[in-house]
Amino acid sequence: MQLPLFSVLDTVRELGWSGAVELFRNGLALGSLYALIALGYTMVYGILKLLNFAHGDVYMVGAFIGFGVLNAFGGSPSPSIAILPLIVLMFVVAMLGSGVLGVVIERFAYRPLRSSPRLTLLITALGVSFFLQNSMLLLFGAQFRSYQSFQLGSDNPAAFEPGPLFEPVFTIADVNFQRIQLVVFATSVALMVALTLLVAKTTLGKAMRATAFDHEAAAMMGIDVNRVIAATFFIGSVLAGAAGVMFGLMFSQINHFMGFYAGLKGFTAAVVGGIGSIPGAMLGGLLVGLVESYAQGYLGGQWSDIAVFGILIFVLLVRPTGLLGARAIQKV
Amino acid sequence: MGAESDRPLPPEPVEPDGPRVGVDEWVASADRLQDRPAGVAGALRRAGGVVTPPIQLAIFAGLAATVPFWLGTGDLFTYGIFVLLYVLLGLGLNTIVGFAGLLDLGYVAFFGFGAYMYAILSSDHYGIHWPAIVSVPLVVVTTASLGLLLGIPSRRLLGDYLAIVTLFFGQAFVVFVNATNPVVAGKGLTGGPNGIADIDPLSFFGLEATTRTQQYYVLLVSAVLILTALHFVNQSRTGRALRSLREDPLAAGAIGIPVNRLKLMAFAIGAGIAGFTGCIFGTLLTAVTAGNFDIPILITIYAVVILGGFGSLSGVVLGALVITVSFQFLAPENPQNNARVLFYLLIALVIVLLLRSWWRVALVLAATVALGVAVQGVVEAVAPSWAGGPVVEGGRLGDLIDSWVLIPEGHADFGNVAYVALVVAVLAVTQLRPSRRIFALPAVAYLAAVVWETSFVLQPAVARWILFGALLVVLMNVRPQGLLGTPRVEIV
Amino acid sequence: MNAGAPLLELRHVGKTFGGLRSVADLELEVGEGEIVSLIGPNGAGKTTVFNLVTGIYAPDEGEIRLEGRDITGLPPHRIAQLGIARTFQTLRLFLNMSVKENVMAAAYGHTKAGVIRSVLRTPGMRREEREIEQLAEERLAFFGDRLVGYRWRQPAYSLSYANRRRLEIARATAVNPKILLLDEPAAGMNPVETHEITDLIGRLRDEGGYTILVIEHDMHVVEGISDRVVALDHGEKIAEGAFDRVATDPRVVEAYLGTTGTERK
Repeated sequence: MQLPLFSVLDTVRELGWSGAVELFRNGLALGSLYALIALGYTMVYGILKLLNFAHGDVYMVGAFIGFGVLNAFGGSPSPSIAILPLIVLMFVVAMLGSGVLGVVIERFAYRPLRSSPRLTLLITALGVSFFLQNSMLLLFGAQFRSYQSFQLGSDNPAAFEPGPLFEPVFTIADVNFQRIQLVVFATSVALMVALTLLVAKTTLGKAMRATAFDHEAAAMMGIDVNRVIAATFFIGSVLAGAAGVMFGLMFSQINHFMGFYAGLKGFTAAVVGGIGSIPGAMLGGLLVGLVESYAQGYLGGQWSDIAVFGILIFVLLVRPTGLLGARAIQKV
Repeated sequence: MGAESDRPLPPEPVEPDGPRVGVDEWVASADRLQDRPAGVAGALRRAGGVVTPPIQLAIFAGLAATVPFWLGTGDLFTYGIFVLLYVLLGLGLNTIVGFAGLLDLGYVAFFGFGAYMYAILSSDHYGIHWPAIVSVPLVVVTTASLGLLLGIPSRRLLGDYLAIVTLFFGQAFVVFVNATNPVVAGKGLTGGPNGIADIDPLSFFGLEATTRTQQYYVLLVSAVLILTALHFVNQSRTGRALRSLREDPLAAGAIGIPVNRLKLMAFAIGAGIAGFTGCIFGTLLTAVTAGNFDIPILITIYAVVILGGFGSLSGVVLGALVITVSFQFLAPENPQNNARVLFYLLIALVIVLLLRSWWRVALVLAATVALGVAVQGVVEAVAPSWAGGPVVEGGRLGDLIDSWVLIPEGHADFGNVAYVALVVAVLAVTQLRPSRRIFALPAVAYLAAVVWETSFVLQPAVARWILFGALLVVLMNVRPQGLLGTPRVEIV
Repeated sequence: MNAGAPLLELRHVGKTFGGLRSVADLELEVGEGEIVSLIGPNGAGKTTVFNLVTGIYAPDEGEIRLEGRDITGLPPHRIAQLGIARTFQTLRLFLNMSVKENVMAAAYGHTKAGVIRSVLRTPGMRREEREIEQLAEERLAFFGDRLVGYRWRQPAYSLSYANRRRLEIARATAVNPKILLLDEPAAGMNPVETHEITDLIGRLRDEGGYTILVIEHDMHVVEGISDRVVALDHGEKIAEGAFDRVATDPRVVEAYLGTTGTERK
């Protein structure tokens, strides 16, 4: 497969405005997910200087918990309770479950190694990731599960009529914006706003910022560092769990391996945005989502992954600490 | 001298006539005692000092040379050859991560690049059949240059950012080779998902390496040579400079070490070794596909170096041996008793490591067995269907297991429940005080055996990764420097 | 190189960090064989001067010359190879390497056996290794009995604080520098050790022939070693001269102690 430049331009012209808008829509939805995952990475990194490889797997567990709740009420297309409370319940249970999982991981795998070299923690995180992924595989088997969300709540599933989630809400340039995409985007924004307010205005947020700056000094100021770190993991994992359910609702198919790639992209987003920076994670997530969407659309599957990698590497080469990352000033 | 200064001058130092607290001599003499560690561990450490690296290498080479005489061809391939492959790959990775301290998460791409380039140059793919004497050096040099290229971002990027860039390169390689597969000279360069087949066997000056034994010896000789070369580098000023770079790049620069140049060199050497190994790998399998060079292989190479200890050459050899053999034992194709024995030995090993004295270990093991027999007996009497399940692929050990381990028949979820219970139990035990722990151990050990027989044995490949993940976590908590590494102190 | 020209010169050197002028229009000279002390309250910019001279930062203005040669903006390892070595305020040893190896590592800049020759273990490479080892032993012997014998093989993290400071100085001298930059060599030392350091610095110049630029807070040390003292405050030079003159200079006193309230400049 070749890549002459004019063939790409042809594709762009072919897809036209509606193509561009559709890709934009997809990119925003995807980017919101990546942003939520990236936030978990960036928060934990800010406070522990640890790249928590297991984070993507918490996201995966969240998706599975959502699936479990969905099925507990009969599943798609006709669950035994109304759609809206069902979805809220899925979110709540998945978020709580993921949050608890995150805290447990921190408590048992990372806390004993609090003062160890960074590489040690990294390897431990890797071990936790394998453990989680394969435990899910062991317990639930390898077959993919599906939320079947397209027809969730549909009046006429046999006729492939979309349920309320996939009903178009409005249309721009011939492109349907479906309810679920708007829900995902709006929920993500709401969560991010909530997080920003939490970090900026609350006592916990202040404690988190202080601990991220200097553990020892924070402890000496009366901050319970263990609790703050546990809270950080909780919040990051809650966001990941939410993202997991959102993924299930948007794309239906979930499997035990989905955490790996999503985690990779989320991690990338966090790094590109500047690891340790919360607005950076949000920006990075959206950027990665949009780049991936447009690359898929204009370059096709064969080159899109490479294009994504290439652009992100380019960003890092130009701004080595990420878009919004702190310039690392080493005190010598 | 200031008549104005009121403060008295500090006292002149007095030469100590004997050790005194607060004076260096006391510390020094106490220190000297520490230099001879006591007890069994101390004796072992001193013995280890006698077996110097050249002797270690000789022992390794000698033992390894005898292997084709007692392993069948099939086993020689899966065990002998693969151990050596991982030794080589581990040595290359060790140079980048262990010696220079640069986190390269794309290392496996060098391996793949070497394999594919050799495959393109010496196979039926394009009908080019360059002799190995030409293509291998060319591949090594090109891969090393690729390593240099990848090292260039390391100038500007701090550790974590470098990790992600290298990870990208690794993934980009797989995608390129698998999906992108650009058409060059009429056909797909890399053969897409099918890869490239019909690779020429290795031949130098008319001598071909077509049998497994010949290939084994090629690998062994390469490993010995590279081990020697790396050892010498380690002992030289370059090795010192690399270690300084790993410890503190800023201070290293301040004493005249060209930090960036050395990083590039480490990348180049590590990449070159991987490229060389890739060539050999291609000739072994006579075909290469993208799947040979993806994340699971990267993880395995890292496991080898982590287990052996970063920066330790003998550690790489030991790590390769342990990882390859245990992974193979847990492969689905293998008769289950190999894996079973390994697993039970693992449980026993954990108990040994947890308890300091031998009689306590014996006590716990006996208690575990007794508990098992008791549970089995009770359940058989009360609810027979819960005890009657068959031992999967029991072989010679089948009857023994059957009488001791609870294997319910027809209760499909039992394995899952047992597994979750085991995880919770292990986590709980870590929270107990060591003195209390001994009471919980038999129950947990028995539970582990039950989980093995009802769950793991049915999905050994998955169990392999679960155990591997658990191993990493435990290893980092208990012995982060790996088996043969030296404990490191790090300025946080 | 002109006879009589200073060994190290800073001309109009300035450095700003995000709006904060850390060093402002600094003129500094150190002549060969001199011991010059750099004093001033915390935050005066003293360590920044060291970082500028050793190439960790590049100055925003001005130039730095070593033996008349412009070294402004060169990378740190190049500057070290040209003859400037330093110690760090916060101690930056290679903790996991042995005492002797720490010092041997510093010889890299003036030795040349490459990777190929190291692998082949040529006679030239082996000879150079022996020389490096001897060099390290010599430099360590400068400190008496403390860092010799079995100590050579011990990891640096096993050393006491004072010994670590000494090791860092030994490592710096192994660079074979023309000028040594010592950043608070007496920090954290008890009076006995402080006295030893004072002697040591004198010996470094007298026996070792090094030119020395020292940052120090302990005025006893400064008094005991300096040919000349330079005082900085807020990045600017506020006094220069013999110790007595500088120590009693009202601007210096004010910088350290603040105004008394009766007189404001």
